[in-house]
Amino acid sequence: MNPDTGAQSDEFSGRLGLIFATIGAAIGTGNIWRFPRMVGANGGGSFLIPWLIFLFLWSVPLIIAEFALGKRSRTGTVGTFRIFTGNKFAWMGLWTAWISTAIGFYYAVVTGWCLNYFQTAIRGGLDSEVDTQEVWNSFLQDSYQVIGFQLIAVIITMAAIWKGAKAIEKVNVALMISLFVLLFAALFLSFVMDLQDGTLDGFIYMFSIQPEYLYEPETWINGLSQSAWSCSAGMGMAITYSVYMRKDEDTTLNAATMCLANNSISIIAGLTVMMAVFSVSEDPLAAVSGGSSAITFLVLPEVFAQAPGGPVVQLLMVTMFFLALSFAALTSMISTVELCVRNFVDHGIERQKAVGFTTIAIFFFGIPSAALWIKLDADTGVAFPQFLEVQDHIWGYGLMFSGLFIAYSIWKYGWSQYRDWQHENDITGFNFRDYLDHGVSPFRDDFINTGDNDWWIGKWWDYIMYLGFPLMFGVLMLSYFVDLLINVHDPWNPSNPHGISIILLFWGVTASLFIGMNKYILINRVIPTNDQFWLIAFVTGNYELEPRPLYRNVPEGANASIDTLPGGNDPYIVKSGEALPPTFVNDYGETIAHTLSDSPPVAGS
Amino acid sequence: MTSITRDTERKYSNRLPVIALLLPLLLSIGAPIALIPPVEAQETSEVSPSDLWSDDYITQFFPWGGDDRLQFREYHDYFSMKDRMQFLADRNPDIMSFHEGLMGGVNARDQEMSLDDYKGWYYNHPSPWMKITGGGEKLEGVTGGDCNTFVGDCGNYADLPDIMLVGNHHAREWMSYEVPMFFLETVAYYYGMAGVDNDGDGLIDEDGWDGIDNDGDCLMLNASFQDSNGDGNPCGPGDLGVDEDFSEQFITDMINTREIYLIPMLNVDGNRYDREVYCGETAWENCATSGWRKNLRDNTATGVTPLPDIDEEVDPSCDGVDLNRNYQFEWGAPLGATGPLFPGMCYAGEAGANNDVYNGPVNYEDNDEDGLVNEDHVDGKDDDADGQVDEDWLGGNTEPETKFIQDMTEMNDDNGDGSSEFKVTITWHAFSELVLWPWGHCTNCYSPDDEFLVYHGNVMGQMTDYAPMQSSDLYPTTGDFCDWHYGVHDSYCYTIEIGNAFHENPEDIAHIAVRNLGVPFYMTEAADDPRYRAIVGIENTTSNQLLQHPDDVEVPDKGDIPINMCLETSFPYTSNMTRTHLMWRFVEPTRSQDDFGPTEWNYMPWEMSGFTELNQQCQLQDGMNGTLISAGIPLPDTVVGEIHYKAMLGTTNGAFPFRYPPADEGDYYTLSLPYRADFGSTVFAVLMFLVIATFVWGGLAFTLRAMFSEDQKVLGLPPERAQNNIENLSGNNS
Repeated sequence: MNPDTGAQSDEFSGRLGLIFATIGAAIGTGNIWRFPRMVGANGGGSFLIPWLIFLFLWSVPLIIAEFALGKRSRTGTVGTFRIFTGNKFAWMGLWTAWISTAIGFYYAVVTGWCLNYFQTAIRGGLDSEVDTQEVWNSFLQDSYQVIGFQLIAVIITMAAIWKGAKAIEKVNVALMISLFVLLFAALFLSFVMDLQDGTLDGFIYMFSIQPEYLYEPETWINGLSQSAWSCSAGMGMAITYSVYMRKDEDTTLNAATMCLANNSISIIAGLTVMMAVFSVSEDPLAAVSGGSSAITFLVLPEVFAQAPGGPVVQLLMVTMFFLALSFAALTSMISTVELCVRNFVDHGIERQKAVGFTTIAIFFFGIPSAALWIKLDADTGVAFPQFLEVQDHIWGYGLMFSGLFIAYSIWKYGWSQYRDWQHENDITGFNFRDYLDHGVSPFRDDFINTGDNDWWIGKWWDYIMYLGFPLMFGVLMLSYFVDLLINVHDPWNPSNPHGISIILLFWGVTASLFIGMNKYILINRVIPTNDQFWLIAFVTGNYELEPRPLYRNVPEGANASIDTLPGGNDPYIVKSGEALPPTFVNDYGETIAHTLSDSPPVAGS
Repeated sequence: MTSITRDTERKYSNRLPVIALLLPLLLSIGAPIALIPPVEAQETSEVSPSDLWSDDYITQFFPWGGDDRLQFREYHDYFSMKDRMQFLADRNPDIMSFHEGLMGGVNARDQEMSLDDYKGWYYNHPSPWMKITGGGEKLEGVTGGDCNTFVGDCGNYADLPDIMLVGNHHAREWMSYEVPMFFLETVAYYYGMAGVDNDGDGLIDEDGWDGIDNDGDCLMLNASFQDSNGDGNPCGPGDLGVDEDFSEQFITDMINTREIYLIPMLNVDGNRYDREVYCGETAWENCATSGWRKNLRDNTATGVTPLPDIDEEVDPSCDGVDLNRNYQFEWGAPLGATGPLFPGMCYAGEAGANNDVYNGPVNYEDNDEDGLVNEDHVDGKDDDADGQVDEDWLGGNTEPETKFIQDMTEMNDDNGDGSSEFKVTITWHAFSELVLWPWGHCTNCYSPDDEFLVYHGNVMGQMTDYAPMQSSDLYPTTGDFCDWHYGVHDSYCYTIEIGNAFHENPEDIAHIAVRNLGVPFYMTEAADDPRYRAIVGIENTTSNQLLQHPDDVEVPDKGDIPINMCLETSFPYTSNMTRTHLMWRFVEPTRSQDDFGPTEWNYMPWEMSGFTELNQQCQLQDGMNGTLISAGIPLPDTVVGEIHYKAMLGTTNGAFPFRYPPADEGDYYTLSLPYRADFGSTVFAVLMFLVIATFVWGGLAFTLRAMFSEDQKVLGLPPERAQNNIENLSGNNS
């Protein structure tokens, strides 16, 4: 550790770096395989309307909030919640980090699939002679191969984030620009394919409004969920990347740019897929809406293998597509791992150590998703990884709570500001009118419209965060559970992997564990009073608690005061490079010296 | 007889060279005319019957030889028929014994009967009949086995099923005794033979009775020869080349294992009167669709005067009883029969229509001597709940002919179990080309065995190209032969309505007889257990039928999706939608799929669609033609997914709900339903694209521009804040 660099913060080189990193995180496989499927299943153009509306009602406001949180707290998710919601609620940050990491466990496997398909494609293994279902099934059932590619995905990710923000930025810029180029090339070829029969039916279907779909709530719910997941809003990713913001970085226009870029890519990928499928498939809508990842790995290779221009173009098309898909997956994977790593770094663990540890964990915890419960769909004979599916099932919707926690931190800040205002003016009792005037807008005033932003956020954002968000969150959760209750056979049986019980069980156990850990792991450290390992000491009661220091990645001269925040008065939350207070006051009111070494570890580098 | 055969053979074989010589001559005469299209003329190969078959077969010169009457070019009368029966019985003493009437004794109703009781009222002939049996495995013959003193026959075996074949209930229906006579001749000639090439084409037993040209020889003929019987149905039953080479071994085996009671002319009185008095010898000329129907009961004498005046001439405007309304089951019910308004009185003035179906006088006796009269009429139920069934009847069974049938049925109890031996009965009538089964006495009612009766009836309908239907669907009748046999004695009874006239032209006798020959053989074979044979038959039928496979379904661009079924024409399906319908459900992928799991489906509830019969033919599993029925699935053209479908096929009384597809192909078929509607309009799509593109790409371009513009302007800044902002900025700068 070089003391000279110790005081320096780790940050992106410029605005574009941040934009590319966040776009890379937001653009994932969901844009490329989920979006076309949703368009196909929900009435083409009819789906685009809710999808676009919820971009502005859900994704943009939440990302703005995330940027604002991260830019001020200058820590990962755990630290952000510790600062913004107080020590008691640090576990919310852990939940957010955990959801992202748990998704990362299997997302690495999925990234591995994409990489494998890319290498298969480039070797000519996906030409028109191939039975794509056979390719898919034999690949998925070969655990060693799946794990092998998963390992490759993990290693690439690790290499990308090893060096911190600057490296992440470079990798993202390279991959994203390649992705754009690849997708545009594929779009062009698809356009030619679709135009061959004289009609652009894929294009027409995708942009034709079928009014009856607009009357169905399902279309709107699917539009909302696609918008919510696609932009990675609420995932904590924006919090993490905003840690590396320069001091005067904009938080609002960046959010809009990122979400719009994400949706632009969705449209390009959607058009590419729709036009290609419509040009080749006899029953394109069945192929597109047929379900799950099948469209990507079964239908598209088949479709691209029939591209015009002979074998070379076909090879190019399918290779480009899977390379683009791999890049999209990798950039999302990077953000996922970085989100986890950032939290370790915040708590004083060396970056490389944290990266190594996280990478190994992600690899090993991903192995069950890669190899466990590979089943065959009874109807179609297509292989699918059931363990992975269940993981996705459980943690995919757990993501919603991360969004809720972010909203909670906003509500809480507003409430504390209202209390402060009451205190200053000697007012007691609750007055709704006063609350509206003094308790709703403080977060926006203090952290969003800071003067660095290029886009002044008006009151509409308050309405969305205070009214719109709970409503949308409620509708999403309700529809999710109603859907489970209606469509899943025996939903309460805990051994049913698709049931409600297993989800509530996992959520419940995870949440209680995290709440329980809050005091002992997140805000304090367990110091054994004997020679035992800390966990054994903890269990046997031979321990003392010391406050856990949190190191913020604050760039020089940045306005990152946290004094008014619930966690702001904790002396152990320090800027990276700052010295910790020598003593602390324990639960019994005794002032004790802590056991940490004097030279604290440095975030970043 | 052999000499006759040889003569005719010579006669016909002499003709061949003559025709062969004449043919070139005829062709040379036609040559100038045929000069222009000579190639065409050669290409359409003129296959004529003589290219395929023996002359005997072509001319329907039957192998038993004999005069025109025996060759079915001329009608038998009572006497010639009786002579021929006696002749055949003499020639085949092992299997045939000739009888007239019944010997008598105490019948099943404790009545003392004598031979005289079975003689017609007027001409006093008992009905002649033939007992035919080979006598089981041991071939004990018609003289072996048990002898029945009441009936007067020997050759009764407890283990052989009995069949009663009755012709000529109605006097004028002359074909109705020619057909049983033709059957008798066939049995008499072919019994004991094996492997006869009946049609002279060099093949043996290649085309048995089923109404289909199994060996395809008729179909090879030039079209002008295919409808030899002129019924408008080429290569149908009765045409040359159809069912022409049956198995003699089958006949032999069948005769050996059955007891057949063949009564070709039940109503001798009426028949003689029709032929000798009412219509005359050439009745087909003046009485084609009229004639004498009933027997010759003297209605003016009976009941009023103490003694029947037998010397009285027949009064055609009044006399006679319709024998086929005189059986006791549901006798006198007011459907299709005429009850006596005033006992003993002649009913209608002239020979009115009503009079033709007079069902005989009411029975006022206290038949069971319990002090009550007619308290339990014959309907198979114990109406008065006294433990006895049908013991005090209302009427019927008053005529010598019907008494004969009744006592033959009830006294011929080979195994002594008290129930009738006749598991199968057939009665021939004319005309209309129908196959009828019970019930006749009620409409819109079905017998407990309906689907089995329907099954056999359909098979025989196919065999003859006659229309199969329930008797009462033609018109209701009470007291008829089949209702009584089925209702009282549980016998599968069919009424065959032959031909298209009461008195057919003699030149048509032969081919009509040929057309109807399969029926008695079929039912005689089925006599061992007609119910079981129907069940098996239906099951075989159902396995031959098919529900359209998804690969064959053509999904139309708009409207209902038709799913077809191909049914055997003999299959007794009901068109009632609650029993026969297509079950289907729509299944679509859910609109929000798990990203990594198997495809998730939304299952809509099962729905029903009724089948309608299309006037088209279809191909069954075995390649034969069947009846096409079709059901429509009403799904909009905008949905995408799968249709699961299966067919439930109910038979007329619902005992068999047959399900398609067969069990080994799963519970249902799965048809994928593509999106069928238009994808949308190009103009609107482009407009929508522009809107979306403006929002997303335009928005992106706008934000990017705003981000990188040198301008320090803040987007959306309210004016009062803008002032502050500028101050802040200038403050910062300074």
